[in-house]
Amino acid sequence: MRWWDARTLRARIFIAFSVLILAVLLATLGLTQLIVGRDTGQTLSRELRTTGQVFESLLRERAIRLQTNSTLLASDFALKRVFATHFDPASYDSETLASAGLSYRQRIGVQLVWMTDEKGTLLAASPGEGRIGQSLASFAPLKDALESQAPAIAVVEVDNELFQMVVVPVLGPDVIGFLILGQVIDDRVAARLKDDTHSDVTFLTDSRVFASSWPDNSREHSQLTRVLPEVRQQNPRLLSISGERYLSLAVPVVAQLEKPLYVLIQGSYDRALAPLHTLQWRIAVIGMIALAGALITGVLLAGGITGPVRLLVNAMHEIPRGNLRHRLRIDRNDEIGFLARSFNEMAEGLEEREHIKDTFGRFVSRDVAEAVLSGRVPLAGERREVSILFQDIRGFTALSEKLDPVALLRLLNQFFTEVVAAVEAEGGVVKQFTGDGVMALFGAPQSRADHTERAVRAALGIVTRLASLNVLLQSAGAAPLQIGVGIHTGEVVAGLIGPDERIEYGVVGEAVNLASRIESLTKELTATILVSKEIAGRLGPEFVLGRTALLPVKGTSRPVEVVEVLPRPLPTLEP
Amino acid sequence: MYRHNLSCICIVALAMIVSGRLNAATAAISGSVSVADGAPVTDAVVFVQSPVPEPDKSRPMQVVDQVNKTFVPGLLPIVVGTAVRFPNHDQIHHHVYSFSPTKTFELPLYKGEAAAPVLFDKVGAVKIGCNIHDWMSGIILVLPSRHFAVTDSSGHFVLDDLPAGTYTVVAWHALSKLKPDETAQSVQVGAEVATVTFKLPLAPPRPRPAMHGNRADP
Repeated sequence: MRWWDARTLRARIFIAFSVLILAVLLATLGLTQLIVGRDTGQTLSRELRTTGQVFESLLRERAIRLQTNSTLLASDFALKRVFATHFDPASYDSETLASAGLSYRQRIGVQLVWMTDEKGTLLAASPGEGRIGQSLASFAPLKDALESQAPAIAVVEVDNELFQMVVVPVLGPDVIGFLILGQVIDDRVAARLKDDTHSDVTFLTDSRVFASSWPDNSREHSQLTRVLPEVRQQNPRLLSISGERYLSLAVPVVAQLEKPLYVLIQGSYDRALAPLHTLQWRIAVIGMIALAGALITGVLLAGGITGPVRLLVNAMHEIPRGNLRHRLRIDRNDEIGFLARSFNEMAEGLEEREHIKDTFGRFVSRDVAEAVLSGRVPLAGERREVSILFQDIRGFTALSEKLDPVALLRLLNQFFTEVVAAVEAEGGVVKQFTGDGVMALFGAPQSRADHTERAVRAALGIVTRLASLNVLLQSAGAAPLQIGVGIHTGEVVAGLIGPDERIEYGVVGEAVNLASRIESLTKELTATILVSKEIAGRLGPEFVLGRTALLPVKGTSRPVEVVEVLPRPLPTLEP
Repeated sequence: MYRHNLSCICIVALAMIVSGRLNAATAAISGSVSVADGAPVTDAVVFVQSPVPEPDKSRPMQVVDQVNKTFVPGLLPIVVGTAVRFPNHDQIHHHVYSFSPTKTFELPLYKGEAAAPVLFDKVGAVKIGCNIHDWMSGIILVLPSRHFAVTDSSGHFVLDDLPAGTYTVVAWHALSKLKPDETAQSVQVGAEVATVTFKLPLAPPRPRPAMHGNRADP
């Protein structure tokens, strides 16, 4: 399996971790975007509103400072004296007044100094000499001052420039004229305000920009006048200017212009969001590191599981191959270790059982051993119908005297090997060896429905095998063996019999004894195979039956009817 | 402004005073000055226009004192040709000046009686101030003859010691929106006391630099 195959444990662990981490990552990023984004917007709006208020007070402060300066200038006695000369055309000194105006401009750093008489006629102007002699009585701040005879302030336009103007009366001691001072509101003022407030500042009406901290770029300026109608509200609005988003707020400025004047305050929304983006980048990088960690963890963790699992699988495969000695060496305290220990215990159990079965099978038949080990044999005993086969070598005593013991045992073992083979071929169990014969059971411990036929076939098998053996014996110059086989069926008690240390599977009952008696009858009738009437009655047509006899039997009052079973004749060849 | 108007008035008044001279007996004019809605106008000066200034030899010197950084009196009507002293009764310096075309003068920083008297030889209003105390303000009203009176708190005045005849009488007030000749009324004065009523529209009081919030405070 390739490691990225989704079915592997490794891939699943990695996918699970990744999905979890990605979910947390996305949730974190989303939440940050939502919360910080909203907070940033709110903070920026609040800052803009504060800046708007600061603006109003800045403009007011500027005006007050200007007014204070103007009042101080207007109180200058020398100035009053020069002003008063206009009462008398003979002594009126316009040149002195004009030069004084220029001097005052430089002294307090204003861009405009005008002087009028007490009715508002311009006496001296710097700049704007061309206006001298004109009446400014209807000019915004002077109009107010003429009415109130007190200082007046206004934002006005003079020669396409925006001025903050202050008019103060010159008292001598009544009003003998007015001093008008103007501070220009130009790009430099806007740039200075930007330095103070960190927001872009533009003074504008909906048709023109008077001053701006934006670069003097007509494209942007036209954009600014266009957006003005959208932002003339209390709340800041988000506007895109040259591809960057700006939160913009328009604050009205009291001015004597044809159109309402606003100061447009703009803070870059994108720049305010920059820390958020940095944060999101960092979160994303941490997320990637976590993902890499998940990959490594997945590989290591899966390796820690699949490695031992593969070992376990290999070990499992050894079991059906019969290698029960295979053990796992996994020294872990977790579930894998538990699994390995369980496997080892299982293999040990299997090996032990196999060992017992092997050992057991030497003394009892394999069938019995298996039946006992598998627990199919009820220990308390049971009644069941079985067929019992007794076999005996006829004339064995005489034979044992003729043969030396080694040769005798070799012959016997050779013979019994054939007998056991014949019995086991029919699913029977050789229960015991009786020196020159055997006792075999059919239908116990393994229950078999056709135990009678099996028993008869086994007997025929023994006879056939004996014939082959006899051919060998005769060729070796020995006399052939003759045997007798008696078979009976009936109910017996089957179970484990004997003291604990020598317990063995066995059957007891009248049927066992009768089978043995029938076997002993074979000598009298010179028959090889004799079966009881109960057996014969259950045999199919393929069996060849011979003589029938009713004979008395030792230990029973009633005579027993026995039937001879003959080997099947060889098929005759058709002529 | 005054200089032009007063010269016109003088010419008109000249003829009237000449006619008045024909009557040798003394008479009087009494009356009142009020605003349009009838409220009395205090400190208005009602005087007889005289084509030729008639200096009053009996009172060649008058005084505008300076007490508690205030001119006392705040309004001083005098006859043309009168000299005015400006004694300083404060313990500090004052710098009295006037930029009025009627009489431009300056008494640079001084204490006590150090300043020389100033002669007012032209008819008109002279607004005086102090260069170092902005709130100090006063008016010396230079009149063509000794026939003038100042209204009392109920707005009344009496011009007596007038020979019988026909006179042009005008009213002046510091806040009046009318020039004096615009208030001119011709009055026939005989044995009876003639009565004249003036209606003077007044401008609102002008804001003045305050002294501790109140001009009267020391």
